[in-house]
Amino acid sequence: MRISKGALLIVIAFIAPLIVELRTVLAWVNVELTLLESAVLGIGLIGVILVWALWPQEGTSESAG
Amino acid sequence: MNIHTYEKLWLIAAMVLIVGFIATITYGSVGLGITMVGDQQDTVEPTELDDERFSDPRVAQVGENEYEAYVTAQMFSFQPDPIEVPEDSEVTFYVTSRDVIHSFSLVGTNVNTMVIPGEVAEMTVEFDEPQDYGVVCNEYCGPNHHNMEGMVHVVPEDEFDLTELDAEAPDEVETGDDIDVTATVENRLLDPIETTVTLEIGNETVSEDVTIDGGETDETTFTVDSAQLGEGDHEWTVTVDEHTDSWTVTVVDELEDGDADDDADDESNENTDAGDDTDGGENGTEDETDTDETESDASGGDDE
Amino acid sequence: MTNTYIESFPAEAKVVRAAFYSSFLALAIGGLFGIIQTLHRTGYYRFMDSADYYTVLTAHGVLLAITFTIFFLVGVFTWATTTSLDRPVEDIRFTWAWYGLMVLGTVLTAIPIFAGFTDSEMSASVLFTFYAPLQGHPLFYFGLVLFVVGTWLAGVDWFRSWWAWKQEHPDERIPLPTFMVLTTTLMWYIATLGVAAAILLFLLPWSLGLVESVNPLLTRTLFWFFGHPVVYFWLMPAYMMWYVLLPKISGGKLFSDPLARVVFVLFLILSVPTGIHHQYLDPGIAEGFKFIAMTNTMFLLLPSLLTAFTVVASMEHGARQRGGTGYLGWLKALPWRDPVFAGMALAGLMFAAAGFSGMINAGMNINYLVHNTFWVVGHFHLTVGTAVALTFMAVTYWFLPQVTGKALWSRSVALGQVVLWFVGMTFMSNAMHRGGLLGIPRRTAEPQYEGFEFEAAVGSVGELDAQIALGGALLTLSLVLFFANVVGTALNSRSDDLPANEYADTLSGPSDAPLVLDNLKLWTAIAIVLVIFAYSFPLLSIIERGGLFGPELTELPVSIGLGLEYLWVTTVSTVTAAGETAITIIAGVSS
Ligand code: HEM
Ligand SMILES: [Cu+2]
Ligand SMILES: [Cu+2]
Repeated sequence: MRISKGALLIVIAFIAPLIVELRTVLAWVNVELTLLESAVLGIGLIGVILVWALWPQEGTSESAG
Repeated sequence: MNIHTYEKLWLIAAMVLIVGFIATITYGSVGLGITMVGDQQDTVEPTELDDERFSDPRVAQVGENEYEAYVTAQMFSFQPDPIEVPEDSEVTFYVTSRDVIHSFSLVGTNVNTMVIPGEVAEMTVEFDEPQDYGVVCNEYCGPNHHNMEGMVHVVPEDEFDLTELDAEAPDEVETGDDIDVTATVENRLLDPIETTVTLEIGNETVSEDVTIDGGETDETTFTVDSAQLGEGDHEWTVTVDEHTDSWTVTVVDELEDGDADDDADDESNENTDAGDDTDGGENGTEDETDTDETESDASGGDDE
Repeated sequence: MTNTYIESFPAEAKVVRAAFYSSFLALAIGGLFGIIQTLHRTGYYRFMDSADYYTVLTAHGVLLAITFTIFFLVGVFTWATTTSLDRPVEDIRFTWAWYGLMVLGTVLTAIPIFAGFTDSEMSASVLFTFYAPLQGHPLFYFGLVLFVVGTWLAGVDWFRSWWAWKQEHPDERIPLPTFMVLTTTLMWYIATLGVAAAILLFLLPWSLGLVESVNPLLTRTLFWFFGHPVVYFWLMPAYMMWYVLLPKISGGKLFSDPLARVVFVLFLILSVPTGIHHQYLDPGIAEGFKFIAMTNTMFLLLPSLLTAFTVVASMEHGARQRGGTGYLGWLKALPWRDPVFAGMALAGLMFAAAGFSGMINAGMNINYLVHNTFWVVGHFHLTVGTAVALTFMAVTYWFLPQVTGKALWSRSVALGQVVLWFVGMTFMSNAMHRGGLLGIPRRTAEPQYEGFEFEAAVGSVGELDAQIALGGALLTLSLVLFFANVVGTALNSRSDDLPANEYADTLSGPSDAPLVLDNLKLWTAIAIVLVIFAYSFPLLSIIERGGLFGPELTELPVSIGLGLEYLWVTTVSTVTAAGETAITIIAGVSS
């Protein structure tokens, strides 16, 4: 774990406004995401964050979790 | 007081932001001329509203491309509805309420004002393209608030008029007497209009071209021979552009009952002639006897 | 032996607890109504008549904006004065008396509101703004008055504590939490004069039939005289928590005591002379007055911006104390697993977002676009509905052990709860804002019209509705978790292992704050002058235009009575019209 579980939860929660607002903002520049695309993007981002957070840090090899 | 450097910087940035906002808004007011709904108008008595604007809510032309719209809001409607104005026009709305607080809000635009009983909201709006706008009341005004809606139609120049039509005819005449149908057409535009006044009665259509100066009223009278109509109820309709007025005239024959009408169908007078006369020509008509006589049906103007 | 509040102030802890529980009850009922509204408006589930929607909305508004917030506030303020002055209240019977008065006021107000659901004549579906000529039952207004008087007496209680303390500590600075309580109370006294005048002089006599009519613009202006500062009345206890509790929980100290005082003084003097910004689109008020209100409002951004700085700086200090490093790396060192911290931090974050939509609202001529649209509802669910409500819920997890002596039922559920609120509100409020830009009105049971449709620039109105409903559902779930925790904690047994009743120290202490900041008389005088400056001319001009008691109005009690009256009026006019037509026809026939 790179960050505490609590911090991870908050970071994931923070993805919600990012994705929701991203859709609004992109619409201004005529990029229109569908609901599905936004959802996929959101889930993708959360996935990346999870991988990043859970990836064992160098030096602390097996201590993740 | 001991203020940290970062705090000072933040403070300055905050003040710059605030002054920037105020400047933006001031620019909107002064530079762009976005004025606020204010206290320009005198107060009115909401339960009476008998001044000449609100006793007859309507659109009036006041200049070349300038119009005024007198609008009342009441539970749970707007008057007039729809409001029709031409494209490329500047419209000043005067809106007041007959009862509680409402709003007058053109959906998706910044035409939006509170409507307060006793006060008159004034707002000038420029309309470019022809378009239909929904109007909502966005202030809660009672249990049917959600049903309070209206429309503003911005129509192409050539479809726009401010014509008022009012037609009158007796409700009942004796067979043989003339029926005078009088169409009063008011042109509330500033410019003259050319149009056609048309009367339909029975199977007959009579029309007349008229030219009405701005702000003037024209009276056209069509005279119809009741004998030709025959006994019974006859609906008539006067049409000027897309305005219509209609009612029913009843032809009675006190002396004879029944078949005084047989002959009426043969002769269908040429109403077009009458139309040429400037002042309410006469004309003939044809009956449409619904009561008896099968033959009258057959004759009922299929040859026209 | 612990060092909790209930140990030090057992009698006060009971009142504070009672105030909290009262506020939670209001939150529970109000929240239930919230989801009902959400489902009704969006059309997902409508089980009641749309006319009843407005009764639900009245209850939602009153219970959440007035009852929930203010009961919580009096609890927090009582805690703050007793703790920071380190002395019990002067007379606990007096404390119970104002609490009792507030309860009585709430009950009396609630009776006619809830009667709106029944067939009875009584009702008050006038929404929490009760704009005349909509008329509620007299009990509604009377209850509100009692409630406000209760809060006035609560203020007296806090002042008494301070006066008594001052006798014993003549040369000491007012402790920061008490300073915050006193300035907020003074602001409240000035602000409530408006609503008291509106009710006592006009609305109550009018609802009792003592006067014929009222001037709708006048009572409306008096309402907003109160209606804007009430926003700060909700917000000040939240700010206090961000200043005195959040730094502590983050593991550090408050960045600056003097700046905190400046902020509260600014709120005292600037909160009231801004109310006209709710009336930018009102006919009958000159543009100039609106402009003054606009500038005052913009300057009112300053204390909030300063708060943002202080709060973030204090959190950073805390994080660094806990070993955090780096430009942003310190964020990781914050106690994110602590629901008290996480909840407050998320609430603060949402408040920043609310600031943006607030600036749009405040922009006089930009306001045309959003006034009374769903945008506004989105905005204040971020402010009062999150910055305030979420902070209150988060600090509840700290307060409950203090006032009950029992350990919190579940910290994990609590953390989940605050996160859910944040996510739910993100969905709900974003869609509300966007819906507002399309022109979708607020306060409308069925924002679906016959003649036209709202056109969404992105997505569709259906999508917005779905997003709102989803958000509302998450919020409701969050509330359920919150109450589970409250009840669970109440059912726990007393614990000996609880955090002590302490609040944050300061890095830069009161000695750095100029003495003049504590001169409450001076600030009150300035506040009054500003209020007179901002309000006397508008009020005079409104009275001059429309009269003190306004024009003649049709009386419109919003009730079943209204339905009947409406029916009656329509029937009468239809019958008259039909009669007239008949007469014309008969006359025509006989002539
Ligand atoms: C479960 C959580 C909540 C939901 C689902 C919810 C939903 C709603 C909705 C849909 C409306 C708009 C009604 C309309 O304009 O037609 C509304 C109005 C409102 N809500 Fe909430 N809300 C919630 C929580 C809160 C909280 C916590 C507060 C304040 C502490 C709050 C305060 C208000 C106020 C003051 C109004 C305006 C009432 C009025 O216009 O008269 N709500 N709420
Ligand atoms: Cu309405
Ligand atoms: Cu305000």
